[in-house]
Amino acid sequence: MNLTESAQRVLRDNLPLEDLLPTRMPTYVNSLSYLFGASALSALGVLVLTGVLLSLFGPDWYHGSRVGHFVNSLHFWGVQVFFGTLLMHMITKFLMAAWRDGRWRTWAVGALTFGVAMVTGLTGFLLQGNWDAQWIAVQSKDAVNALGAGAFFNPMNTGQVLTLHVVVLPLVVVGLVGLHLYFIRCDGPVKPL
Amino acid sequence: MSRRSEAYLQDIPTKPYDLLREGLILLLFWTAVIVGLAVLFGSPDYPAVRGEDVAQRQPLAFLKTSANILAGNSSLQGYGPPYSPDTGNVQQFLGVAPADWPGVTNPIDPPRDFILQPLARVAILNPAVGDALRTYEAATTTQQQMWLKAYLAALDKATVAGGQVQLLAGIYGPVPALMTGLLDLGRAGLLEGALVDSARLPFTLDFTRALLFFQDDVDHSVASSLDMLGGLWGISHETGPYPGAWWLWPYTFSYQIPPMSSSPNGDLQVGVIITVVFLATLFAPFVPIVNRLPCWLGVYRLIWRDWYRR
Repeated sequence: MNLTESAQRVLRDNLPLEDLLPTRMPTYVNSLSYLFGASALSALGVLVLTGVLLSLFGPDWYHGSRVGHFVNSLHFWGVQVFFGTLLMHMITKFLMAAWRDGRWRTWAVGALTFGVAMVTGLTGFLLQGNWDAQWIAVQSKDAVNALGAGAFFNPMNTGQVLTLHVVVLPLVVVGLVGLHLYFIRCDGPVKPL
Repeated sequence: MSRRSEAYLQDIPTKPYDLLREGLILLLFWTAVIVGLAVLFGSPDYPAVRGEDVAQRQPLAFLKTSANILAGNSSLQGYGPPYSPDTGNVQQFLGVAPADWPGVTNPIDPPRDFILQPLARVAILNPAVGDALRTYEAATTTQQQMWLKAYLAALDKATVAGGQVQLLAGIYGPVPALMTGLLDLGRAGLLEGALVDSARLPFTLDFTRALLFFQDDVDHSVASSLDMLGGLWGISHETGPYPGAWWLWPYTFSYQIPPMSSSPNGDLQVGVIITVVFLATLFAPFVPIVNRLPCWLGVYRLIWRDWYRR
C-alpha cells in the first residue's frame, strides 16, 4: 500500500483545487450570514499575530510600555470580535440547519471549536496579570474543583495556565478550525431548506 | 469540483466568486475595527491586590485575614479535594461528588501553610517572632483559640495611628507578636514569596497559595467596589466600562436562578447544566426538537430570501 498515492486519491476525490479555492459559488450563497465564519477567522488571525508579539516581549512590556499595552488592547478587542463573529456564525448556521445533507461533521467540529475557544478565552483572562486575572482565578477554581477537574487544571497555577494558553489550546483551536474548513470545502455550501 | 460537490450541486446555478479577495477584504476590515477599538478604548489593567498593598493601606484587614486563617475560620478550612481530605463541604449532584474521585492533589493546611510556615521564616530574621512562635506552638489548641478569639474581637475596636495598630489591653498571648511579624513581612513585600512552595524555587510559576491568601474578605471587598461579585454575574465582568467574557453569560446567569443561586452545590449544578447544553449543541443535528427548530423558526427564509424570490 502506497500511503502517498492514497493521500493523493483522498485529496483528488475530496478536495481538488476548484473546491479548495473556488471561483464559482451557488447563487444561493448571497447573504451577510455567509461572512461571519470568515470574519471569525480574520479575528483569529489577529489574535495569533498579537499573541505571538505578547509572548515575544512579555508581561513587563505589555503592562509597562505604551506600545505593549496597545498590542495587549489589540489582543483584548480581537477576542471580543472573535467571539462576537463566532457566535453569529454559529447562530446563523443553526438557523439554516446547515448540518443537513451529511454536514453534521462540520457542525460538530465547529461546536467543539467554540467549546475549546471558551476554555482558551478563560486561560487568557487568567493571564492578564492584573486584578481581573486574580479575581477570576480564585472564583473559577470552585467550579473547576466541584467538577473534579481541580486535580488536572489549577486556574491559580500560572505556569500551567500559560502553557495551555499560548501552546496547547491555540494548537487545538487552529487544528479544529483547519478540520472545519476542510469539511466545508469538501462538501460545499448546504442547499436552502 | 470534487465528485461529491458536482453531484450535490448539479442542478444549482452558480455565479463568479473570489474566495481570496473576499477573505482579504474581511481581514482588512476586521483588523481596522480592532485597531480602532484599541485606539479608542484601550484595555483594562486594574492592578492586582498584593500583600504589600493590603499591609500598608489596610493593616487591620491584613491582620483580620491572617488571624482568621490561623484560627481556622478561612473558607479553605475544610474545603475538601483537591486541598484537604474533608468531605463535609464537597459538592454533590444526585449523590455523586466528582471532586472525591481524584482526591487530594494539592494539599493545603491554611494555618500552617499560610501563617506558621511564613512566620518560621520571619523568625530567622526576628528572634522576638521566634519566641512568640514557640510559645504559640507549645500552647494547647484551646488556649490558642482563646487568644485568637480575644485578638479578633479586639481588632474590631483597634485603631491605626502612624501605621501602628493600637489594640485595647487584653489577654492575647503571643498572637499580637505573630501578627505583627506577618504584617511586617507583608509591608516588606515578601508575603507572596514566603507563601510559595520553596521546594520549586527559583523556577516556580505556581502562585496558588499567594492568590488564595486574600480570597475571602479582602478580595470580596475589592470585587464589591468594582461590581464583580457573583450576584453581579462575577467573572464575566471586566473592571471598568469594558466588555468582559460576555460569552459566559449563560453560565453566570445560571448562578442567578434557584436552586443554584442558594445551593451549596451550585457550582456543580451549573457545571452539569452547561455540560448538557454543550452536548445538546454538539449533537444538535441528532437531537429531536432541537434539529427541527430552524424549520419552525423560519429565519432561513430571510437568509435565503433572494433564492426564494427567484
